[in-house]
Amino acid sequence: MKYDKVAVAHAMPLTYAASVPAQPILGDDLDSTIPAELRSWLVRLRLLEGVPFANLVADTELLPAESMRWFYLDRRWTDALVQGALSVGTVNSDDRTHLTAQYPAIRDELDVEERNHRRAEGSARFGGRVEAVSGFILRSEAVSGWPGLHVRAFSVDPEESDDATYLETDPRRMRLLRLERLAPAVLFCLFDGIPKVVHVEEPRQGVQFGFHMRPAGQGVRATLFPRDKTTFSYINMDGDALVGPQDPDDGIAVPFRAGPGTSGVVDIQRLEQILRTNPKTKAATGADDGLDAAEYALQLIRFPYRQVFGADEGITLAKAFRATIAYQEHVSTTFRFGGNP
Amino acid sequence: MSIAEGHFRLYARVAPALKAGLYRFSAHQDLAAAGPEGALGAAALPVEDLATYVDVTSPRYLLPPDQVLSTYPPAGTEGAYGARLPQVVIKRRTLPWERQADPANENTPWLALVVFAEGEAELRTGIPAAECITSDRRLSGVVDVEKASALEIRESVIAKIMPTRKDVPLLAHAREVDINDTELMMGDDDGFLAVVIANRLPLAGVGPDGTETPIVYHACLISLENQFDRLIPESPPHTLGSDFLVVAKDVYAVSPAVYDQVVMEQEVDAVVNPAWVGGVLGPHDEALDGPRAPAGDPSAYKTVVSVDGGKAMTAGTDWTLASKAGTAGKAGPGLAEAMSMSAGVSKTVIVGSLVRFDPVYRFPCLLHWSWTTTGSRTFESLMQGVDSGLLGTIGEPRPPVPGRPPLEVVETGHVGLDQRTRRGDLVRAWYRGPLLPHPADLSAPRLGLAHAADQLRLVIPDGREDLSLASAFEIGRLLALSQPSMVAALLRWRQSGYQVARRGAVWGGILEDLDLFGRELVVDRELALQLGRGLVAGITINPSDVIGPPKELFTPGRAMGLDGRAATLVAKGFGIDARLDRPATEVVGVLRGLEVPRQPLVDLTKVGGLRTVGGAIGAVREIGLEQQVAGSISEVILGRPGGGLGGIGAPIGGGIFGGVPVLPHGERREDGPDALDEALARHPGAADEEVSES
Repeated sequence: MKYDKVAVAHAMPLTYAASVPAQPILGDDLDSTIPAELRSWLVRLRLLEGVPFANLVADTELLPAESMRWFYLDRRWTDALVQGALSVGTVNSDDRTHLTAQYPAIRDELDVEERNHRRAEGSARFGGRVEAVSGFILRSEAVSGWPGLHVRAFSVDPEESDDATYLETDPRRMRLLRLERLAPAVLFCLFDGIPKVVHVEEPRQGVQFGFHMRPAGQGVRATLFPRDKTTFSYINMDGDALVGPQDPDDGIAVPFRAGPGTSGVVDIQRLEQILRTNPKTKAATGADDGLDAAEYALQLIRFPYRQVFGADEGITLAKAFRATIAYQEHVSTTFRFGGNP
Repeated sequence: MSIAEGHFRLYARVAPALKAGLYRFSAHQDLAAAGPEGALGAAALPVEDLATYVDVTSPRYLLPPDQVLSTYPPAGTEGAYGARLPQVVIKRRTLPWERQADPANENTPWLALVVFAEGEAELRTGIPAAECITSDRRLSGVVDVEKASALEIRESVIAKIMPTRKDVPLLAHAREVDINDTELMMGDDDGFLAVVIANRLPLAGVGPDGTETPIVYHACLISLENQFDRLIPESPPHTLGSDFLVVAKDVYAVSPAVYDQVVMEQEVDAVVNPAWVGGVLGPHDEALDGPRAPAGDPSAYKTVVSVDGGKAMTAGTDWTLASKAGTAGKAGPGLAEAMSMSAGVSKTVIVGSLVRFDPVYRFPCLLHWSWTTTGSRTFESLMQGVDSGLLGTIGEPRPPVPGRPPLEVVETGHVGLDQRTRRGDLVRAWYRGPLLPHPADLSAPRLGLAHAADQLRLVIPDGREDLSLASAFEIGRLLALSQPSMVAALLRWRQSGYQVARRGAVWGGILEDLDLFGRELVVDRELALQLGRGLVAGITINPSDVIGPPKELFTPGRAMGLDGRAATLVAKGFGIDARLDRPATEVVGVLRGLEVPRQPLVDLTKVGGLRTVGGAIGAVREIGLEQQVAGSISEVILGRPGGGLGGIGAPIGGGIFGGVPVLPHGERREDGPDALDEALARHPGAADEEVSES
């Protein structure tokens, strides 16, 4: 992971997406209205590749820093895009007649091909056509700091717990039509449908050790949530099982070595002592006879974090979307009825 | 036991069979056998003892790069690493336990991972291996590398950032992973790895305005061999603070026996036996373990054990070290004073000490790397802090940006933008990208085909235009134009499409009636090929249907009936009414005797000649010269006296043949059957016969 120093700052102005070069595709040219390379380029255009960012998000205030914006895709807009591309070269009315005759067939073919655009070579083709398309734009430091984010979408709410593993071929999973970083800190994603649950997960980087950090004032507060030695589930300081590491009071405040110039030095031995002397947790964590290195490492393990976005019944439309001006008012101030003719 | 998929197993320690070092093996064999004369003992079968030296080597000064599977944070990167402990993963599972660092305990690992920021310690690379350790210690054994690296660090910094003696065993462990899990294996060959974790979180710095500033950290995997005692024994007490100015303080716990002796003013090594318990305690602070501070009695801290004369010192004056080499064992009244003042409170005596001389130590560094921490925010905290909503919503109200009009967003998601029209006016328009805050209407018919962007401009009742679709059209057009390969592909497609249309139009009605031996014909690019193939198929199947008899070499003309004498027929054929029945010799003789009228040649060189020519030319008015000649010849041939210059229409003729009517150029001869026509008409069936082929 090599970064440009400038690119890391998440306050960078939103830049244009790079234009996508056209690549010739060989094969798949069988019974088609338009040649394969033209079709693949038009499908990429349909998925908004190459469209300048200012045309996707018209104002920077619509996408502030550390925000995630969900949307549905406008079918008419992408149709207009494809029509504009096809209008290149229609000079006389003969060409236009020809295009008018061919256009419905082209549009149907693109609908079918849109779904197959991201499929792996040699795998079976997906049938059917793309109906509703939705997606999100995420602007956050998380995108620049963790470039290999995993995104998963589900068409139904899965019953398993939030941190279960899911296979690629799970039938409840919804396909991604596009997942791309438009800028170092902006992630753009399109789903083939309208999902019920979306997971955004930290990329795996082997096994890591650390603590649960929360910002506190000017610094951070580190908390360790002890884990049960046998079941590996979280337990709080009273020895009861925890659903998840949420409330810092349920865990141990990590002791640091005191003194000037010792920023961040964890008092390893004292942490072990705390686990050993707490009567409720010592048996569960295996600390009653002293923690050895393996048991200690078990407590420190941090797994990749998964953020689940799901349907929350408490969200009303007013919370999710607020217009700045009401159209009714706008019309009534623009037009005044009566008055001088 | 093998590891289940998706699992891994942790080991506290994987002991090597033999620690690294030089060993002397001696082998002694006692043989016994049954010989022909009975049992043979060891004396009868002597075997020489083997004494051999075995050197078990292991990296000591330098870790080869292929032994390191991964480091975290990755070397040379920038990122928010402040929430994770740095670690190094080593391929060989026994490496941290192959040498002995702690003389008291052979299970303690000899490796530690030290993390320091710039300026706290120094890394020296490329120095001879023998100098990698502090000069007062030696490592036994052969030095097997030329150059190595060393970490130079002061004693005070050791106390601050390096792990304590009790921390070191907790920070190294081994891991067994599933061989098929390539991600956790990281390129190992047997699935067993050793991991050494650091004891410090590489936090980002905090700038003056509270924002996080990046800090460069270095991590060193150091060897603690023979220098294990340089580390502090255990971590200092949790809190450190005092209301008084202190240079350095230690707390000594004096045993009751010593206490009594001092109180009774006996000679005692008061300061020899106390056990160092920990650091300083303020009057109001509490340590988690260790001695309790005397509650609320500030005077306890003002006393000191005296030296060299028993002068009691109070706070604010120099503190001196009470050494056992001082007053030959006599504690002196100062100590008694101190202890009497604090008597009954506790058995602790605070002793001040001078600022210590801060020596620099060197540790061999087997591996080092560095990174930059830009923040301590974790992925978790970032994702939980993200403001989620539909596109178009502003989210939390933010302060208005100066210099820009406030953002207008309508319920449909349209945004008000400035537009400069083609005429140069600056107006407001509505624009909405392809991203909607409400579900798209899928039941509505699709957008009809537009050929120009202006066809897609909509006017909204409030007077503004909605430019969303028009901009989409224009963007699509410009993107297509920016790719020359796409333009070429479109033009090529259009051309081939046009040809298809034309082909269809031409072959429209023909193909249904065409039966090419049962073949189906489709109007496409390969129609010509199909026709050719059909023809060839027909030829091979039934050649006589398709191919006719060979054509004759020449086409015979029509038969003509000829009766009568040849000469008469020829004359008739020419349309000359002539009597050619005289013998040929007579005809030839007549011809020979002809006199061709000659005009006297005019001598043009004489003056009068021109006048004659002029007169002659003038005389030729209406009758052409050829007519004259023709008239003369025919006069002779036909034997009629002719006037030569007869009137118009008068046949000049005579002679052998009949007259030849001479017609002027302007008139046409009236149509009528001529002699040839009559000759042809005499033959039945000779008129316009079709050449029939059988």
